[in-house]
Amino acid sequence: MGFISRIKEQYAVSDDFFILNDYLLETPVILMGFNSLMDWTLTKQNLQTYINTAADTGLGLEEFRTVLGQVETASGMDKASAGLLQGKLIIYFEQENSFIVMDTVARTLDRSITPPVNENVFQGTLSSFTEDINSNIGILRKQIQSSHVNVSSYTIGSEETRQLTLVYYEGHADVNLIEKIKMQIEQNKHQQIDNLQQLSQRMMGFRNWTLVPNLNQTELPEEAANFLRNGRALLFMDRLPVAVVLPSLLWDIFVLGSDRHMPLPLMMFLRALRVIGVMLTLILPGTYVALVSVNPEVLRIELALSIAQTREGIPYPAIVEIVLMLLILELIIEASIRLPKNIGPTITMVGGIILGEAVVQAKLVSNLLIIILAATTIANSTIIGLQQSLSLRIAKYIIVILAAIYGVFGIMEGLVLVFAYLSSLHPFGIPYTSIMRCKKEVNHG
Amino acid sequence: MDRTWQITLMYFFIHLGLIFFLYPGDVISSTNDGHWLPVIIGFMVHLAAITVYMKGLSFIGRRDIISLYLEAGKGWPLLLLLPVTVYFLLIIIITLRYCAEMMTIVFLSNTPLWAIMLLFLLIAAFIAIKGIGTLLRTGVLTGMLCLPVILLFTAASFQNVDWRYIFPLADGFAFFTDSDFYQSFFAFAGGFLFLGFLQPYFTYRKKNIFIAALVLLPFFLFSVYIPVLTFGQATASTFHFPFIAALDSINLSWLMFDRITIFFFLCLISFTMLFLTMVLWSTIRVISRCIPVIKPSYLTFALPVLIFIACMAIPNWEDVKLLFEWNSYLRFYVVITIPLSTYFFGKRLQRKVDCHAAD
Repeated sequence: MGFISRIKEQYAVSDDFFILNDYLLETPVILMGFNSLMDWTLTKQNLQTYINTAADTGLGLEEFRTVLGQVETASGMDKASAGLLQGKLIIYFEQENSFIVMDTVARTLDRSITPPVNENVFQGTLSSFTEDINSNIGILRKQIQSSHVNVSSYTIGSEETRQLTLVYYEGHADVNLIEKIKMQIEQNKHQQIDNLQQLSQRMMGFRNWTLVPNLNQTELPEEAANFLRNGRALLFMDRLPVAVVLPSLLWDIFVLGSDRHMPLPLMMFLRALRVIGVMLTLILPGTYVALVSVNPEVLRIELALSIAQTREGIPYPAIVEIVLMLLILELIIEASIRLPKNIGPTITMVGGIILGEAVVQAKLVSNLLIIILAATTIANSTIIGLQQSLSLRIAKYIIVILAAIYGVFGIMEGLVLVFAYLSSLHPFGIPYTSIMRCKKEVNHG
Repeated sequence: MDRTWQITLMYFFIHLGLIFFLYPGDVISSTNDGHWLPVIIGFMVHLAAITVYMKGLSFIGRRDIISLYLEAGKGWPLLLLLPVTVYFLLIIIITLRYCAEMMTIVFLSNTPLWAIMLLFLLIAAFIAIKGIGTLLRTGVLTGMLCLPVILLFTAASFQNVDWRYIFPLADGFAFFTDSDFYQSFFAFAGGFLFLGFLQPYFTYRKKNIFIAALVLLPFFLFSVYIPVLTFGQATASTFHFPFIAALDSINLSWLMFDRITIFFFLCLISFTMLFLTMVLWSTIRVISRCIPVIKPSYLTFALPVLIFIACMAIPNWEDVKLLFEWNSYLRFYVVITIPLSTYFFGKRLQRKVDCHAAD
């Protein structure tokens, strides 16, 4: 089957595909492309300009062809297909059975660079990554102007292709880490990757059943640059407006690169707040359950009595009470993400009524629990990264359950369990709990 | 991989966990006055043991003591590793049962013993399965949480101290004949044996262990002297856990909790838990190396089950004490033979290496 008939068979069903007969320096050619991906009018004008110039300077067909692009023999379809899907123009020469993939004027299909949506910036660079992988790398290159920032691109997937780019800072990143990542990508190049779950499992070979995200991600070029300087590797996937950070470490949930725009004591204060936030999220709900139902004697008698008073008339044990309210809280958080921005406040209001007054007045839960819940939710939000904060939200249930059975002892052992779990993770042989700085510095716990 | 800091901290935490429970009671009942003498003597023995042990370990390079004994020839593994294994197993059983009993006495009067022991064992087994790296990192994280609490309450426990109780300073060496004195070696022995099992995985600077040991000395003294100085010898000797009783007497008006002992206690239990896990891991290593037929993964499941059954089979508190007493013979055997044998075998090994180098 000829080249043209194969192309036709594959693409002619799509209405945005065009195939035209034309003449190039009096040689019959066939032009093909997707007019949804390129601006055909402008491209045609460009092509005409080329032809006119060539005619004026008396350029032969052979030389002219090399000006337009690399000449390929039309034996395989792969290059032509890839070019078409990337919005290139294919110029096919029937006589020689060869083609050229020519660059075109692309349609603007990407949004411009905007402030981040999912992460907030406090006194730092405002731009954020977009869907276009080349813009992302460009932004990053503007952020770090160094000849040591290396970029290696891979085309992954077999049926559906996608661009994956690895960025690292030579001299800062551990050579072994980069080698391992490159090897993983080379090995699993043919896997179809649509999302980060597949990236982590199929491409990087991480286990899927981990409670903590294997891949850290950031929208902020400034943070991404900081990660690079600290020896991490970044992965960009086309159409994904985040930089994926490898490896993900515990330290990342407390530390933001832009903290360093502040004086040292202020920075330390902020980071300490985040640590306290994590501890409170883990401990507070468990403490309520433990102190109310298992170990009231730990409290001063006045306090124990006043807590008992707030629970007067509440018909079920503390664990049911707290799990019920935590569940409602989780539902509110999830609902406010789902809803469009102009209906969102309704949820806040309705949720506020439930949590604020009604549920206490109806004697369904105690006053104190509302305080605990509010404090927990606030504390939970202090840490960096939405996925990490979700892990933390789940971890607190483990401690609540242990606290309901074992009291304060359960909280302590629950914490040890959480610590043990965090310690047991080591992506690419780097312990999750380690602090990663420049290479060759020793990790201390 | 060099993990000096993690290993040193682990050594420190494990000993802190061992110091505050039984040790003060044993020392206080072993002598009437001059408690520093038994403490210092015990500490010297400990220091001597780790000196010999560390010296021996530095001879054997990147090997651990299991392979050292296995290479030493017939009979030696049986003579040295079997008692170690039995000792480790007994320690796990005693510590586990002991902690569970304490827990029910202090604050979980309604929770059944088996539930507490199950939680302990599950967490210990989880960490042991994940390996020594996980254990060390968990230790450091737990320590970061618990150490401030322990330091704060140790400092606060000086609240009710009456310094006149410190006299008379010396009372002779009558404690040598007292069995309680030998019981007190529980805090000095056993905690450091794990240092010999780490080598193929991690290396560490041996000097730091000595520094950690020296930092421990004040805690040994505090644990004995705080109850003595708070209550006086006559009263303190009547308590089972004098240090905990002394802590109970503290009143911090700015704290909303009535019994701060509970937090101190929990931190100590966590350290004991680290000790338990370390011993469990070491036991699994010894058994799986000596009997290669058993896969380590099966062992990590089977051993905790066996230990759990053994713990449940102990009828009551008196039997725990009896077991503890029996174990003290084994303890002295292990503490004396393991460092010495490591030293001599290590020296022999090094001489062999030197000979080969000379050839």
